[in-house]
Amino acid sequence: MLNEAFEALKKYDWGTDRAPVAPIEQAVTASHGNAAAREDLEKRLLAALQGELSRDARDFVCRMLTICGSAAAVPAVAPLLTDEYHSHMARFVLERIAAPEAAQALRDALAKVSGKMKIGVIGSLGGRRDTAAVPALCTLLKDENAAVARSAAVALGDIGSAEAAKALQECQPAAAETKQAVIDAQLACAEALLAESKASVAMGIYKALAGDDQARLVRLAATRGMLNCAGKPA
Amino acid sequence: MSKIEQSSRRDFLKTASAAVATPYIYTSVARANAERPAPSDRIVMGGIGIGNMGRGDQGAFLHRKDVQYVALCDVRDEVREKSKEGIDRHYNNKDCQIYNDFRELLARPDIDAVHIATPDHWHAIMVIEACRAGKDVYCQKPETLTLREGPLMIAAARRYGRVVSGGSQRVLEDYRKQVDPAWAGEFGKIKSINVNVGPLPQLCNLPAEDITEKIDWDMWLGPAPWQPYNAKRCSGSFSINGSSWRSFSDYSGGGMTDWGAHHFGGALFVTDVRELQPEDVTYHEEKDGTYLAYRFPNGMILYHNRPHTENLAIEGSSESKEPKAVPGYQGEGGIYGDFIHCVKTREKPFRDIELAVNSSAVSHLGNIAYALKRSLKWDPARQEFPGDAEANRLVDRARREPWQL
Repeated sequence: MLNEAFEALKKYDWGTDRAPVAPIEQAVTASHGNAAAREDLEKRLLAALQGELSRDARDFVCRMLTICGSAAAVPAVAPLLTDEYHSHMARFVLERIAAPEAAQALRDALAKVSGKMKIGVIGSLGGRRDTAAVPALCTLLKDENAAVARSAAVALGDIGSAEAAKALQECQPAAAETKQAVIDAQLACAEALLAESKASVAMGIYKALAGDDQARLVRLAATRGMLNCAGKPA
Repeated sequence: MSKIEQSSRRDFLKTASAAVATPYIYTSVARANAERPAPSDRIVMGGIGIGNMGRGDQGAFLHRKDVQYVALCDVRDEVREKSKEGIDRHYNNKDCQIYNDFRELLARPDIDAVHIATPDHWHAIMVIEACRAGKDVYCQKPETLTLREGPLMIAAARRYGRVVSGGSQRVLEDYRKQVDPAWAGEFGKIKSINVNVGPLPQLCNLPAEDITEKIDWDMWLGPAPWQPYNAKRCSGSFSINGSSWRSFSDYSGGGMTDWGAHHFGGALFVTDVRELQPEDVTYHEEKDGTYLAYRFPNGMILYHNRPHTENLAIEGSSESKEPKAVPGYQGEGGIYGDFIHCVKTREKPFRDIELAVNSSAVSHLGNIAYALKRSLKWDPARQEFPGDAEANRLVDRARREPWQL
């Protein structure tokens, strides 16, 4: 039945019956805890991914790999990051595979993509809270594309480390949308640091954002943060 | 509303009317309506996503005397135009501004609050962006599409001191028969409650169709995977059986989240665990049916689709429970009035985003347990499945570029 399902996958597309490929989904679920079965399934999915498939079928394979893919899937999935039509579904897989190879593939892709695809990769690195991506993201804070710079700021806020916070504090973005994102990301970093009991670092971030040069919304957020650092309910 | 905020808004209103094309204080109707609060004391609102539920939410806010509704956003031209017509007719002017891109609406400094009723895959991004822009938010249920979104929405609300209300009116209004005796202690310490709801969400591979309506398809899809236009895919009808977006996992958690927001929300309210999330979910596959048992930190069990058990059936105990006053809406006008009251007073609304997220989390945990066909442990504090790499992959999903939380 699984052989037939993989055969059906070759003809799968938007509008076709989903039932013939359903055994693949069932096999993915059933292979939990069975390393050999999962490895075999992953190999078959990766082989299918490298064959002739419709966009919908390729998306289907990526959805399956999101659950059962391992580091072994990275070499086959990573090239899709630079493909306009498949970059998102490649990130669907690589953002969720915990293996360091997946994070490395995303970091490597930063230099190969631009515009929206770069923003997508940045978002996935942020979603993974990939601390190893911080230096690259710090560089991207100065990207001439304001949307890319904004995206890097948001990702650094997701990562929330002291290093990310420092880079955000030091950057001087020109575009308004980047400025707002940098401030929001600093606040997010301060919250993460406070949650890790690094109250003095968090307090430093909040104090720097509490000045009269900031918008009222930001000053109030910083004041709330300072109260939280002091252990008082904001 | 704090004095600081009131003062700031009044200052803005004194100076901004000439520079910003908004109807805020100079509409003739506003001046003539002596019963209405002064313009500077009204809550200025806009709406995002004005289809089925959005239309209803809009009507509820529009007819409030303490609200001035000034802007709306939708990716469908016809919805925008018709909705604007209704609002302009209501105020007898032409002032309502319309937008295709929600970011333009959120950028308006005169808007205090927004209601959001887009498909679920947009909620988290819009709520977080609204908070960043300093707006209070009424967000339709189910508030989240993934487990990761909830804590980020709560963080944004708390960071900027925003009032963010979830949108299930049924949590309070449909279950009083169970809530009142339960909070009065009549069941003793509740051992369990059952919720019957479904179905699960499904993958969507509907065929491509010619676009026969004026819709910004890329914007409708937003952070969801690209798929070709199909009228059923983006239909806002209440179907959860394959003929609306509510059925499909890229945009919704299916019936588990759509009606689950009401039923699970009601069950958590009845059993007074609204502030908690379960610590494990046990997957049962038995002759009479497949069902779940969620265990909460206080020992209470929430069943889902337990065979031969009615919706909201309560199993009490002889262990006594101290009676407690039942919380409810503040202000006037149901859940909408509660939200507006809280926008003014800065109190937490009845359906505060944290409580709404807890309810949504029950739905998502259930969807994941059913998808993986096995029991799960959940750490509410860390928001992860301890030692379960496979389940942790389903806590969130990559968003289509260029969208980011």
